[in-house]
Amino acid sequence: MKISDMIELGFANLWRTKLRTTLTTLGVVIGIGALTSMISFGTGMERNITEAFRNNDLFNSLTVTARKIDLERIAEGDVSSLTGRMDQAVVTLNDSILALVNEVEGVDIAFPELTFRAKLKVLDKEMEVTAAGIPKSLADYPPFNDITYGSFFDNDSSAVVVARWETLKGMKIVVANADEPVEFKFHENDQEFVVVPPDSLIGKPIQIITAVMDYSKLALNPMQMLSGDRSVPFKEKTTTFILGGVIKKKSQFENQSVKGSLFVPYKTANKVPRLGFTNIWDVIGGNSKDDGYSAIYVRLEDPSYMDSVVKILKDEMGLNVFALSDQLKEVRRGFLILDGILGAIGTIALVVAGLGIVNTMIMSILERTREIGIMKAIGGSENQIKWIFFVEAGSIGFVGAIFGLILGWIVTRVANQIANSQFMPAGEPPVDFFYFPIWLILGSIAFSIVLSLLAGLYPAIRAASIDPVKALRHD
Amino acid sequence: MPILEVTGLVKSYVKGDISISAVDNVSFLVDKGEIVSIVGRSGSGKSTLLNLIGGLDTASEGQIVYDGKRISDWNRTELATHRRFHVGMIFQSFNMIFTRNALDNVVLALVFGGCPKNQRKARAKDLLTSVGLSERIYHKPDELSGGEIQRVAIARALANEPEIILADEPTGNLDSITANEIMDLLVRLNKEQGKTILLVTHDQGTAEKISDRMIYLLDGKIIKDQKINRRSEDQ
Repeated sequence: MKISDMIELGFANLWRTKLRTTLTTLGVVIGIGALTSMISFGTGMERNITEAFRNNDLFNSLTVTARKIDLERIAEGDVSSLTGRMDQAVVTLNDSILALVNEVEGVDIAFPELTFRAKLKVLDKEMEVTAAGIPKSLADYPPFNDITYGSFFDNDSSAVVVARWETLKGMKIVVANADEPVEFKFHENDQEFVVVPPDSLIGKPIQIITAVMDYSKLALNPMQMLSGDRSVPFKEKTTTFILGGVIKKKSQFENQSVKGSLFVPYKTANKVPRLGFTNIWDVIGGNSKDDGYSAIYVRLEDPSYMDSVVKILKDEMGLNVFALSDQLKEVRRGFLILDGILGAIGTIALVVAGLGIVNTMIMSILERTREIGIMKAIGGSENQIKWIFFVEAGSIGFVGAIFGLILGWIVTRVANQIANSQFMPAGEPPVDFFYFPIWLILGSIAFSIVLSLLAGLYPAIRAASIDPVKALRHD
Repeated sequence: MPILEVTGLVKSYVKGDISISAVDNVSFLVDKGEIVSIVGRSGSGKSTLLNLIGGLDTASEGQIVYDGKRISDWNRTELATHRRFHVGMIFQSFNMIFTRNALDNVVLALVFGGCPKNQRKARAKDLLTSVGLSERIYHKPDELSGGEIQRVAIARALANEPEIILADEPTGNLDSITANEIMDLLVRLNKEQGKTILLVTHDQGTAEKISDRMIYLLDGKIIKDQKINRRSEDQ
């Protein structure tokens, strides 16, 4: 007797009690539907976030800081790692360190993180932004490889800058071609915005206003501040740049891999007049620009270099390394737990369905006792009879899994539609919250079959061990 | 040459403190090609004896040697093989699967016997034709008469070409005319195909007409083992 014979016999037997088989299978369908739609939500969210990481190049970038930034301890209120203790040896991030980092195998490019606060002035609108100095070689990397309007600067000393699309939107300037639809979020008042074609911004001058120390003020009246005069010894300095390009709009799950709203060629940025400190770390640590860089931004040739590069930078060069990909590991662990919880809920439904299979199979054996006796009388062995019942139970699991997957898919499509229309801001591209990876599809089919075989185990053994003489007397 | 040797066979059931022997120290031989009838009243142990020989039941004591093999020592899997290939059983109550048609009932035996899929239907049709049922192969048992059902059962018993047919009151549920037809069919199988037939019946008259030998059973014991010169009478 071949497997194909058993499947044929099993299906024929199941088909005899159509209603009962359908109802039992329906239990499995609902169980698998619940299980897969639950887990597909977890995997969908994980995929969205992982892809956002990948799209933003976060898997092959890391930040080197001179001082260890212990985020967990900061979260607990301990800021000692920020202020820097005397007993902690600190490597100054200067040009020689930068050159060394650039030499490490696997490092594509390392450049100092150079950020400063500035006021951006475009079309008579002003906004405080973080400007970042970056090398032109970043043109090939996200997000700079995706400039929607205009282009990236081609010279580290040029006066051309690029801005994020969101930065301009923050200034109530929406850049859009005439044929592009412009949609606003429901909380936005479209009257406040100006819609500007890219041509009237790209290649046009924009102003960056930075604060510089007003030495004349300090020298003239050093006591003024102490006496309660609210005027500060700073003055504003305006530098004019050309807006070279606007970076593509972010999608829903995207993270910023590169800090900053406005990007200035790296050598130019160094010359922008501003106060001595570049960011908060400098203020807290008392670092001035001259002492070295606050951080070095490192891009790798390939994510596979991550571990080896981190090891060299940490162990051999004594630098502190912060890689966002480490954070993703944590996020992934979180999703594993989420998947586990969602899966457990779905499994409950499936276990109930499994009990339904046990019940159906036992009923079936009671009804078919005489038939089992006949099969034995004409030469059916215990193993063959066991397998016939086993295949019947497994078929319920298999068919249930197939339809369960279809049910799960339909449910998630509907849920996705509702979620997108209800919770996503208008104008945003729709997001797929659910994801059915191949392992989920095959895994749930396998799980369903295994569960139904387990459910069929006892009934099958019971059927096989029926005494044929008694069974033949059974009505 | 005996195809079947039964020696000191005992089948006892324990009910409470009492042990009842349904078959009690039975010994006999059956030669190849013989028609042997086992007759006796209800409860004399005829069917139990047939079930033991057919490998549906296991003996408490004694031995059964079938075609030189001691099947009384076999395990359940080996007994299943014995039932599948070496004996064909026919019952008073037909034991058809009522949800399957005549053809499928025969096919099921061929499935267990490992007959290749593409040959099963043709072989089942041949078998049903040989018992005179060529017109009714797609009928379910409840659409057939008792005699027709028993013919299907005989076709099924012959499916895997056993050497011996064990018939347990095959005419018990049939009227006398139909019963005679079934008996004639069994005799034909014996004559044309050389099948050994072991027939359990309480109908002594019919048994005497067709048998080579009669074994009389009472309370599980053989009280008479009588040879009948049936073949000379036929001639």
